[in-house]
Amino acid sequence: MTIKIIGAVLIILGCGSVGFAMTAAHRREEGNLRALIAALDFMQCELQYRLTPLPDLCRLTAAQCGGALRSLFIHLAQELEDQISPDVFHCMNAALAKTPKLTPQAVSALQALGRSLGRFHLEGQLLGLENARHNCRSALEKLSENQEVRLRGYQTLSLCAGAALAILFL
Amino acid sequence: MRCAWEELLNLLPMWMRQPVDRQGRDTLQEIRLRRGRPPELVSRAGSIWLERQAEETDLRFVINAASRYSPWASSSVGQGYLTAPGGHRVGVCGEAVVQEKGITAIREYHSLCLRIARDVPDIARGLALDRSLLILGSPGTGKTTLLRDLVRTRSNRAPGAVVVVDERGELFPVGFDCGKRTDVLTLCPKPQGIEMALRTMGPACIAVDEITSERDCDALVQAGWCGIHVLATVHASSRRDLERRQLYRHVLECGLFEELVILQKDKSWRTERI
Repeated sequence: MTIKIIGAVLIILGCGSVGFAMTAAHRREEGNLRALIAALDFMQCELQYRLTPLPDLCRLTAAQCGGALRSLFIHLAQELEDQISPDVFHCMNAALAKTPKLTPQAVSALQALGRSLGRFHLEGQLLGLENARHNCRSALEKLSENQEVRLRGYQTLSLCAGAALAILFL
Repeated sequence: MRCAWEELLNLLPMWMRQPVDRQGRDTLQEIRLRRGRPPELVSRAGSIWLERQAEETDLRFVINAASRYSPWASSSVGQGYLTAPGGHRVGVCGEAVVQEKGITAIREYHSLCLRIARDVPDIARGLALDRSLLILGSPGTGKTTLLRDLVRTRSNRAPGAVVVVDERGELFPVGFDCGKRTDVLTLCPKPQGIEMALRTMGPACIAVDEITSERDCDALVQAGWCGIHVLATVHASSRRDLERRQLYRHVLECGLFEELVILQKDKSWRTERI
């Protein structure tokens, strides 16, 4: 009987952890997007007032960020300084490949940013940054819609699914 | 002779780096890239053409590398050049984008001329350090190289600060010794730079490279009557050339410069009192 109870508890915990992992991934995605928006704000200020060259801009932005974004901007600055890739888009892709912890929404926003960076004069570049920020905000809004209800739903569903499985096996 | 060779190689597409490096840092003077044609490596001995043709992407690579992927930080493209890391100058030809305020960008690049910056110590030995000098020479005779050494020599040997208004960022790139008493104002237009230097830096001498406009000349004349020496370079092959041009006649006649330094094709120089 004890073994059966232990098995049931394990099933419930296993299913529950899936729900909690989904919730954590959701929160990580949101955190990444918020950090990216802050980084884009900083880049815009730097560009507007100091016309900072891109490799230096990336290093400065890295110093303002934490976690995966920090590592991404350091890699990007390094790629730009190595001068091996023909344009910023290629440099961005190489930097993204070296930074696996970024979430899909952030990756897609950064790829769009890579397409615009380094192609235009100041006005165009600022517009490119604004566009990237707009994309991030839209993605963030989508994520935030009924967020609490949805996340609670994931957790409850996974726990219930675990409990149902346990009952079936018992 | 010093040259920012690594910086130069990093400007080039990967496939060009090895053959250019083989040419050697002491002999190469220019690299010319023309779309759809093989790159030309120009040295004193003549030209060498690489086998592979340069593509549009190769030209873009050079532009991106020279501007550090930052077109907003290199507004000089509209004037037909870019100063790359290491002080190398990239001259640009292509399809210009013209707007109200003039040429704002180049849409398609057709050819590039990469001129290699060199620092040759002691070539200014023998030039007077206590007067205003105007260095003249046709393109490629070494005006900037001579001015660079003259500034350094004056800064190390004569009293007082030398302020360099380096509009193109070519005179003292990172790694080039500028002397003990030299202050460098980089990427600043000459007229404003000269005024700023006079007001704030207390110079004994102001140096500028390539005076080309009336505003440059006016600013120099203003500075000249403030008790300082002036060092400048100008495009002209002889004193006669200079006197024929209205722009420079006034500068010569007003007595701002006391001596002309005339550069020859073989990069030697001679002086002439005004």
